[in-house]
Amino acid sequence: MKIIAFLMLCTGISIYAQAQQDLSQLFDSTGPAHPKVLYTYKGTRIIMGHSTDMLRKHELDVRVDHRFGDLGGEFGGAKTFYGIDNSTDIRIGLEYGITDRLMAGIGRSKGSGVQHQLLDLLVKYRLVEQTQDNYVPVSVAVLGTAVMSMMSSEEDPHHAAWFGDASDRLSYVAQGIVSRKFGDRLAFSLSPTYVHRNRVGYMDMNNMFALGVGGRLKLSKRIGIVAEYFYPFRSQASRDYYKAQGITFYNPLGVGLEIETGGHVFHLNFTNSSAIQESQFLPETTTSWLQGQFRWGFNISRRFTLFGKKDWKK
Amino acid sequence: MKNLFLLFSMVIITGAVSAQDVFSCRNTRFSFFSSAPLEDIEAKTDKGVSAINVKTGAIYFKVPIASFQFRKKLMQDHFNQNYLESDKYPFAEFKGKVLENADLNRNGTYQVTVEGTLNLHGVDKPYREKGTITVKDGSITAGSTFNIRIADHRIDVPTMVVKNIAEVVAVTVNAVYTVVNR
Repeated sequence: MKIIAFLMLCTGISIYAQAQQDLSQLFDSTGPAHPKVLYTYKGTRIIMGHSTDMLRKHELDVRVDHRFGDLGGEFGGAKTFYGIDNSTDIRIGLEYGITDRLMAGIGRSKGSGVQHQLLDLLVKYRLVEQTQDNYVPVSVAVLGTAVMSMMSSEEDPHHAAWFGDASDRLSYVAQGIVSRKFGDRLAFSLSPTYVHRNRVGYMDMNNMFALGVGGRLKLSKRIGIVAEYFYPFRSQASRDYYKAQGITFYNPLGVGLEIETGGHVFHLNFTNSSAIQESQFLPETTTSWLQGQFRWGFNISRRFTLFGKKDWKK
Repeated sequence: MKNLFLLFSMVIITGAVSAQDVFSCRNTRFSFFSSAPLEDIEAKTDKGVSAINVKTGAIYFKVPIASFQFRKKLMQDHFNQNYLESDKYPFAEFKGKVLENADLNRNGTYQVTVEGTLNLHGVDKPYREKGTITVKDGSITAGSTFNIRIADHRIDVPTMVVKNIAEVVAVTVNAVYTVVNR
């Protein structure tokens, strides 16, 4: 009888346990196996260079990038309203998300190197995305651009903008971007870059490697600080030659503030590089922060969603 | 000894029955709709999970916030980054109970009231909402539409975009359950 009582007790407990069982335990693995780290940066650019973030399928990004004149130094100061009277480069671009991993764009910029009136095409592809469980520790994207100068050729056949052949107008950039987000607020990037310019001046380099580092620190939900630095590997012989001509090359450095205002991402930045195109600011930055030759600039990005309205309603 | 045998069989039968008590759904659909003066916002996902215990009336829902899809991806970005903060609060979870004593083993459509706690954006809030449960030959379908006041869950909308986002969001949930075999 004792045994029966014990058994009854056990049964009671087991039924009770069944009733009290937490249904949430049925779903130990809710959500994707390797959830992705979202939003490493606020947009497709860090400041001057690209980030690993992409446009999504059917998204059109209308961009206006602007760099003003030198804030200080010989061309800056009060007489140019601290550079605002001048603009060293402006790019107007249309970029589009073909898939979530592939975007393409076309842009026209004034150009701020030896060649002007630039038309550019770009393609960016995302290879992998960082996951929250470190299954994939970084995000990686690759970028390719082709830039063509539409300016009329210089008269002097020794000039870097003398176009004997249409191909002399072309430059190319290939870039890999590796980024990692640390926690909620901090992101870092490394961007090994290769620039090829078909036409360059005497003792300049047709091919040049550069390494970029960039980062972002989120201050609040809508404001972040971004910084970016590129080290172009210019040969000593080339550096020395140009130094003798009175031209010193500097490494592009930018710091900026990202402000999101509802629909736009507004990007305020300061850079010593005057050009917007990678093919120009990497090999041709000849202005120095230390001499007041930095400028404020902005990137405005406005994204629109095209198509898919019908698909969505389904 | 006879008694003992009877008891044992009862235990086994009870065990078997209770195994049939729990139904789950791994592709629970959630959608929400917000209508504000400037724009309508709509999003949906079928990545939610749900379970119901037909014997006790216990009911459970969970959905990954980042799985909600918007037609305008910029809205999706803002939803995840600024409003729901899906990095910090990756799931919304509801634990509740069907208040009526509906016999969910029998075919029929039942109007039910569900009471429980919703954890959304890290904030717990009690809810008491109407829903419908349909039982047909061992399959169970549940659905409900109810309102969430976003301020209740500490989701702040800056005054700048207050005309774009409604204070109250209508959430719809649909689950088609199958019995959990264990």
